[in-house]
Amino acid sequence: MELVSGNRLTALGALSAGCRFFAGYPITPSSEIYQTMVAELPRHGGLALAAPDEISAAAACVGASLGGHRAMTATSGPGFCLMIETIQYAVMTETPLVVCLVQRLGPSTGGATQGAQGDVLLAEHCVSGGVTIPVFAPAGAADCYRLVRAAFEWSERLRTPVVLLSDKEVGMTLETVDVAALENGSAPPGRRAVAPGTTRFAPYRRPCSEEPPDFAPVGGPVRVIATGSAHDGEGRLSKSSPEVIEILASLQRKIDAHAADMALAQTELAAGADTLVVSYGVSARAALEACRRVRARGRRVSFLKLETLFPVPVSALGPALEGCSRVVVVEENLTGLYAGVLEPHLGGRPLQRVTGLGGMIPPSRIEPILEEAA
Amino acid sequence: MTGDPWILPGAGPYCKGCGHPLVLRALDEALAVLALDPADVAIVTDIGCVGLADSRIGSPHTVHTMHGRSSAFASGLALADSVLGTGRLKPIVLVGDGGATIGINHLIGAALLNPDVTVVVHNNFLFGMTGGQSSALSPVDFVTATTREGNLVSPLDLARVLLASRAPFVARTVTGDRELPELLRQAIAHPGFAVVEVLELCTAYATRWNPLTGAGLRELAEQAGYELGVLRDDPRPTFAAGWLARHGRATTGRAKPATTSPARFHHDVAHATGIVLAGTAGERVQTAATLLAQAALLCGLHATQKNDNPVTQGTGFSVSELILSSEPILYTGIERPDAVLVTSADGAAELARAGVLARVGPGTLVVADAGIELPPLPVEPLRLPLRSSSGPKLAALAAVATWSRSAGMIPGAALRAAVADRFGAAAEGVAAALEPIAPAPSRPG
Repeated sequence: MELVSGNRLTALGALSAGCRFFAGYPITPSSEIYQTMVAELPRHGGLALAAPDEISAAAACVGASLGGHRAMTATSGPGFCLMIETIQYAVMTETPLVVCLVQRLGPSTGGATQGAQGDVLLAEHCVSGGVTIPVFAPAGAADCYRLVRAAFEWSERLRTPVVLLSDKEVGMTLETVDVAALENGSAPPGRRAVAPGTTRFAPYRRPCSEEPPDFAPVGGPVRVIATGSAHDGEGRLSKSSPEVIEILASLQRKIDAHAADMALAQTELAAGADTLVVSYGVSARAALEACRRVRARGRRVSFLKLETLFPVPVSALGPALEGCSRVVVVEENLTGLYAGVLEPHLGGRPLQRVTGLGGMIPPSRIEPILEEAA
Repeated sequence: MTGDPWILPGAGPYCKGCGHPLVLRALDEALAVLALDPADVAIVTDIGCVGLADSRIGSPHTVHTMHGRSSAFASGLALADSVLGTGRLKPIVLVGDGGATIGINHLIGAALLNPDVTVVVHNNFLFGMTGGQSSALSPVDFVTATTREGNLVSPLDLARVLLASRAPFVARTVTGDRELPELLRQAIAHPGFAVVEVLELCTAYATRWNPLTGAGLRELAEQAGYELGVLRDDPRPTFAAGWLARHGRATTGRAKPATTSPARFHHDVAHATGIVLAGTAGERVQTAATLLAQAALLCGLHATQKNDNPVTQGTGFSVSELILSSEPILYTGIERPDAVLVTSADGAAELARAGVLARVGPGTLVVADAGIELPPLPVEPLRLPLRSSSGPKLAALAAVATWSRSAGMIPGAALRAAVADRFGAAAEGVAAALEPIAPAPSRPG
């Protein structure tokens, strides 16, 4: 066992997933990821870069990824805002990229050392045109290791930016974790390469609408055309031909088609439960503790911790909802941002939001709500 | 690759007389002389008319990027290739004066980092694609769509900014210069960051509104005080070379952590126990908490340590919330503290503000430095001269040791082992704080 933070295990998980390029810019509460990558990458044969700002950091990562290297950056809300244009570029060019967004209290500079879950929709809706970015939300240090690996897996598999959404408490709190038990996985497979011997290829022509195109690195033997402008299969600038629109639609279709495979969740279902408690990230810990306490007093409640937030893990939601006549969603933001995302998928069941700002939501705030009958 | 020419022939997609295709023709000549493998060349374009050059690129890779950010993408491409890849890739950035100014931090950053990137700045003194608006490189009195009566703002001397940014190769010339292909060749051949600023005409707007001709570009440069030619050619070690010299290409990986070892010490933690430790930042409050968490780990317990401090680093409060439990820990906050340890007035004030003192109950063990004020509590605090006995930097550890003795849950031997693991040879001085502290004599009156 080691006493270790979520930020540190995010970095170690990324290394185990084959990340070999990191460009960073310091910002609380994410800086430990940057520092750990700087310390660890050399002995993994990788490269860590101190970028002059967050835009440079994200762009350098995309550049490295265009060359075929797994790349990651880490930031918090204010830095993420600066990275959004580059994340859109990664979406459009179908370039794998992992962005760790360690949330803090916002808006604006907000509270650097105060945790929050206020960026959940910012992370998801930062792409013009409505393209879904996969978002994974660890609730603790061990989750960080596991889910950053999932982030790399899907980033590579679908050639898309992926966000690992933690927060100050998940990132900076130290926990006892059996790190050795985590460190057994090999790196997930990479993007599907062009067939050997290919001399000319259309960089954005895809095998089918639900899959990304084959990949060739910039600097490799096959000529690559990458562009953030609307393009046809050859990579030629073109704004509204049917082929261009089809490519844009495929940016979303490739995500939707793999939504069920990407859906990660943990459940603690109770037979005969009338209430389903749904939570994610740091709040999921308090929510589960509240569930266990009220169960000990005879209340029947089920619990669902969502680890994949986007695409919305509808396949994980279905079985958990069975038999429940009420859903309680617990999250640390002002209005219940993710509850609004879940609402259309609840089959009309009444939804109660437990929200908070300025500190972790304690189990004692959740328990009285669960004590009420549905 | 394909056997295509470096740059496809033709003038398009540019206006008649535009400088951009002249630079492309010079680039074609330069690349032909260099005889690189096209697979090792990536043309990285910015936004604006200059970004339309992609359609004219024949055999090299092309990466059409974002406005102003081209040199940041190119830096990532080049550095990753230098350290992780073939080490042969030469990105060549084509950017306009608009892109160079919105992205000036990327240019400066790239100049400082010194990757193997060449930047060709197409300076036609305005934003052409969007209708001829002024840019930060428009000369004084220049007429543009947004400076109809002449530009009032002094232009940025980009080449000098990049000289000041320690770019090892800087050149500036005009499109009509016969030496342009040779300048570009030198820039691309240069092993690190190289920039060539080319003054050119926008025939859609600049020549329409200003008495400017190709031949007049040299005069414009003179009036603006711009030296032409190679302004610096002084190679210095690239970042990648420095990195590889320091780190090599070693891939040994992280040393495997020890697998779960059996508990070395016995504990008496019957239920999840929450301990709040509060003091002043810079006085090793969080370190003391970590030592207790490590001691708990040596007893086979689960532990969490949630830290809080203001955004400042060495001033203000520092608070650690520790939970020790034989079961995995879910919520990492402390609703009802089993112990509150306070070593400074900063810490006490923060505990009062955060409502922690209000949650102290009759069963809470409160250990406080003898010198600090506390509000009335439902328990009598154990007052000890922590700061004066152990010194400010070890007062928190002394408080932890006091808790350990009073609560009897974690043995002192486990704490001593944690101190020894962390401090090695320096452990002896630190371990002095683990010794019992005599209460301060009560003050008269």
